[in-house]
Amino acid sequence: MLGPLAGSLAEILQPQYLGPLALGTLAGLIGGALPGVTITMTIIIVLPFTFGLDPLQGLAAMIGVYVGGESGGLVTASLLGIPGTPSAVATTFDGFPMARRGEPGRAVWLGTWASLFGGVLGAVFLIAATGPLARFALQFGPWEYFSLFIFALSMVAGVTGRSLVKGFLSGAVGLVITVIGQDPIMSVPRFTFGSDLLRAGFQFLPVLIGVFAFAQIMSDLERPGRDAARERLTTPSLRVSHLAVIWDIVRRPFLLAWSTVIGLLIGVLPAIGGSAANVMAWDQARKFSRHPEKFGTGIPEGIIASEAANNANVAGSLVTIMAFGIPGDAVTAVMLGAMIIHGIQPGPLFMTTEPRVAYGIFAAYLLAHPVMLVLQWLLARVYLRVVQVPRAVLVPVVLVLCVIGAYALNNTMDNVYALLLFGLLGYGLVKAGLPLAPLILGVILGDQIEINLVRSLMTDADPRLFFTRPISGAMLALSALSVALGLWQHRRQARRAAGAEEPGGDF
Amino acid sequence: MVDRPSLVAGLLGLAGSLILLAASRGLPRSPLVPIGPEFYPRLVFGATAVLSALLVVQSLRARPAAPGRPAEYRRVVGTFLAFALYVGVMPALGYRLATLLFVLGLQVLLEPPRHGRQWARVAAVAVATTAATYLIFERYLSVLLPRGRLTGF
Repeated sequence: MLGPLAGSLAEILQPQYLGPLALGTLAGLIGGALPGVTITMTIIIVLPFTFGLDPLQGLAAMIGVYVGGESGGLVTASLLGIPGTPSAVATTFDGFPMARRGEPGRAVWLGTWASLFGGVLGAVFLIAATGPLARFALQFGPWEYFSLFIFALSMVAGVTGRSLVKGFLSGAVGLVITVIGQDPIMSVPRFTFGSDLLRAGFQFLPVLIGVFAFAQIMSDLERPGRDAARERLTTPSLRVSHLAVIWDIVRRPFLLAWSTVIGLLIGVLPAIGGSAANVMAWDQARKFSRHPEKFGTGIPEGIIASEAANNANVAGSLVTIMAFGIPGDAVTAVMLGAMIIHGIQPGPLFMTTEPRVAYGIFAAYLLAHPVMLVLQWLLARVYLRVVQVPRAVLVPVVLVLCVIGAYALNNTMDNVYALLLFGLLGYGLVKAGLPLAPLILGVILGDQIEINLVRSLMTDADPRLFFTRPISGAMLALSALSVALGLWQHRRQARRAAGAEEPGGDF
Repeated sequence: MVDRPSLVAGLLGLAGSLILLAASRGLPRSPLVPIGPEFYPRLVFGATAVLSALLVVQSLRARPAAPGRPAEYRRVVGTFLAFALYVGVMPALGYRLATLLFVLGLQVLLEPPRHGRQWARVAAVAVATTAATYLIFERYLSVLLPRGRLTGF
């Protein structure tokens, strides 16, 4: 394992891979820092740029975006009190007070170094666990795959959003979208109503881009804009003793370890992402602390917990996509799309059939962290300038890049029309209060769910096999459990006052 | 008390899934294969119909959410229309011209420029976006962008 890893590290260090990795990380840092631009949006924008590159270059760039994005949010979170991404919400709790107290450098660098440590620890898990998990998944027959996908869908539907019914309905709509087009087994055209556009079915990338990008942008446009002229932001000096900051983190090993574990677990679970990881880690750190009342006043523990968790979350998501072929969140869903476009088949066999790409991903993830650190050091003062870009400029440019991304998929306008269609759908769903994550997962998994269901029933028509086969049965039980958990959580939430929910967050 | 957006969504979902269920009757069944192409879609449409019905019931019984800030839909509608126009016009005018007009137009729509310098910025952004994307994607990354039917450009 270490041999191929060392080889891949050497490979990624070459300029043709390091370049895309660095550029991706830069894009991620900036996109992450910009409030209102999520990591998902950033990777959607970066996606078309990867089409002309080779698969490993493209993946290196996207991993850079992911890692950079999880770290970029902390700068605006600490300096402005506005989280650049939902993954940095908890960083504002302690980062902003610390900065206001006169220690902005310490806040930013605690976050950055914690991101690095959390990410690198996560890498250890990523590299160690993916192989064995993939081998475990190789034992799966169609029953197990079907149950795994059902588990993923119920997990997503149950845990996100305010209503279980809405979550499942959103997932079902996703499945409906995949039903349109040709049947995956016999290629019988279905529900095309005589239209050529519908005959080919919908590819999931334009659906994903349309739904997420438009939902986010339109929701943002509903609100009146900030008056840019009134805000004149100057960056304070961010000088700090890095050794002191590192010592701050390293002398709290349990905090670092536990936050990393939380980030990893949430990353592994499908469709829950950094936005949950950072808050949960902060909350956990407070619960285990000897001075919980100090959380929220600007203590290092709060920043360390939040930032270590959201970076470790990336590693967890990568494990899920590399071992099972199921995206851990929207960002890995885009990576999945890119892999498919480049002819790479994700799934349990990925590690064995494409070891170079697999180890390349590990290496890129590892190297993205020091790259992120260096870029952060160079750029931290520039961010606040970038944040002032007016949305009247940002919105058209982002939309143009989405169009290129959709068009470049197969050089027809069909995917661009799909973009508009699903943009409308996505916005409509947000207005109706339906979560987007289940829809996307439904679209991604839809064909596979059908293939595995039909295959298993054609092999053996006994439906009880789904429950009697141990792995399959266990996953269906977990699905039921997550639905029950979701019901219990919603009952609890329903008793508290309903708060506004931010649409289009990172899953 | 009714949660209207959810009610609409539920009713649309119900209608849609019932229509699709009806449409699934027409699918050909092959005698060779025990499970036909209509099996899974029926499951999915059925589930969607049930969930939509549940949502309708839920929305009729719901307490309306606390009203937040009133949303301004002018920009949203404007952006959708601008985008639809952009996408509709692109095959005819070609990527470069369409993009130029779109970026120009949408900026003006979202933040109307008040004096010369702001107009200059709007124009600069439009030109820069079109030029930069064209050059990077077509020249450097070999991603071909559409040419216009009418303009050949």
